[in-house]
Amino acid sequence: MRLYDIVVLVTPDLNDEDATKVAAEYKKVLTDGGATVVKEEPWGKRRLAFPIQRKRDAHYHYWQVQAEPAAVAEAERRMGLSDQVLRHLAVRVDEELKRSAKMAERLRKKAAKRPPRPAPTAPAPEAAAASPERSES
Amino acid sequence: MRMGGGSGRPGAGRGAAGRDGKGGPRKKFFVRRRKVCKFCAEKLEYIDWKDVKLLQGFIPERGKILPRRISGTCALHQRKLQTAIKRARSIALLPYATD
Repeated sequence: MRLYDIVVLVTPDLNDEDATKVAAEYKKVLTDGGATVVKEEPWGKRRLAFPIQRKRDAHYHYWQVQAEPAAVAEAERRMGLSDQVLRHLAVRVDEELKRSAKMAERLRKKAAKRPPRPAPTAPAPEAAAASPERSES
Repeated sequence: MRMGGGSGRPGAGRGAAGRDGKGGPRKKFFVRRRKVCKFCAEKLEYIDWKDVKLLQGFIPERGKILPRRISGTCALHQRKLQTAIKRARSIALLPYATD
């Protein structure tokens, strides 16, 4: 099982309900393939950064799914065949998340080991400004 | 989220030089602000391709990816940023080019 981020863009020609229905079809493909939906966020109708098939916006549907690669491949294949899906993207994220968590952990340890360094630039101008005043008074 | 990785606090270095007292001829000398990788500074390890607001800060008007020499991003994070931007482009969250 792997963790995937999946985004589907459904045509703006459909209304909200129908668009979610279309998206749900692909979700069903995934769940039938043994996937569990971790996160589900309908981003709603969004403006596209550039026109796709002369359309200026689309219904975005996002899921984070724990799934087998085969199930994701099948869902992607069907998305590609559909006319109602403008674009789709499935990205495997578990490894990247793991790696970045490890990096964050390492950074934290390093920071804990090293004594806190005095902020390099911030106090300098203040000190420069403060000292002449003190000598005057 | 702060916008525009490259800009911010433009006069920070200069102000200090002026107050030094021995500014005179040095005033014209532009003290370059040290650029720091935004992701290192904020300890953002995972660059999310869904975070359009964050990525937009690295997309100038033309729609190209802001180069490292301008934004000051470190090599590692620039690479991650690059893939994130390219993914976001593929589902039309970000433009490939604008004119």
